[in-house]
Amino acid sequence: MNNYMLDDNLMPFINMGIEDSNPNDFYGPYEGYIKGNMTKSLYTPYKNYKPAELIPTNEKEELLLNLNQVQFAMHEANLFLDNYPNDQFMVNDFNKYKKMYNELLNDYESKYGPLFVNNEYMNKVPWKWDQRPWPWEGSN
Amino acid sequence: MWVYQKKLQYPVNIKKKDLKFAKQLVTQYGGFAGELNAALRYLNQRYTMPDDRGKALLTDIGTEELAHVEIISSMLYQLLKDATVEELKANGLASHYAEHKKGLFPTDANGVPYTTAYFATTGDPLADLSEDMAAEEKARVVYQNLIDLTDDPDILAPLLWLRQREIVHFERFKELYDFYKEQGL
Repeated sequence: MNNYMLDDNLMPFINMGIEDSNPNDFYGPYEGYIKGNMTKSLYTPYKNYKPAELIPTNEKEELLLNLNQVQFAMHEANLFLDNYPNDQFMVNDFNKYKKMYNELLNDYESKYGPLFVNNEYMNKVPWKWDQRPWPWEGSN
Repeated sequence: MWVYQKKLQYPVNIKKKDLKFAKQLVTQYGGFAGELNAALRYLNQRYTMPDDRGKALLTDIGTEELAHVEIISSMLYQLLKDATVEELKANGLASHYAEHKKGLFPTDANGVPYTTAYFATTGDPLADLSEDMAAEEKARVVYQNLIDLTDDPDILAPLLWLRQREIVHFERFKELYDFYKEQGL
């Protein structure tokens, strides 16, 4: 397992809330992210197509991929919790990823520039927000 | 309000220009099953959802659709950026060049500009959520048709990913629809 594939084995847990989610039905953040779907029972491939493996070519891309996958896991939990607000497992899951997200975001912004304009590292000129790359420009 | 994040929800790195495909892909920007239509539909319908679940879900999915508009736009930008005027002409994009140069513009695959008449807001949660479920299915099919039209892995990766998001959103809308139905709304 490469180090950009975060924690694909969910730890055993004790569910203390009203259960709507099945904890065995979720992919880890890397697999869920490349598939675009964190829920195993909902994942439906098209024909024989497989999701693309995302392989970072440098530290910056690796950090961004880590950030994107935990953010995606949080977002999927968010959408689920909108419908099932009493699911304690999913709330725990959201918070587990949120903790990782905060660390990764801070790490990324300190090294590679702002993802949000209100980050900690905007205290010098030139103003970092208007520097390349823009998201639509790709890495080529 | 909204806060911009200076990154894509899923990466787009297209190495080869493909003008013929760009002409088809634009429908997921400004066509009836496009991401812009999805974003506007959910963000308009959310105000009259009957409870907090509905208000939250339509806000959050509507917001994600804005990120999908950006993914499709990035694909279009990268597919067109190295094209010459001659290449645009040869690939049926002379009319696009006449009006927009290489700027992006939301139309369907036939060049018909985006219109809000592509979606409805009835103010009735069951009617609106039924439309939302149908919209996700239609977008899934259009992504499949687009996947059938290319073999470039750089294009296939985000299309497969976006198709899967339609499946997840359909399920979340259906869960909410079923919940409201049970509540006797």
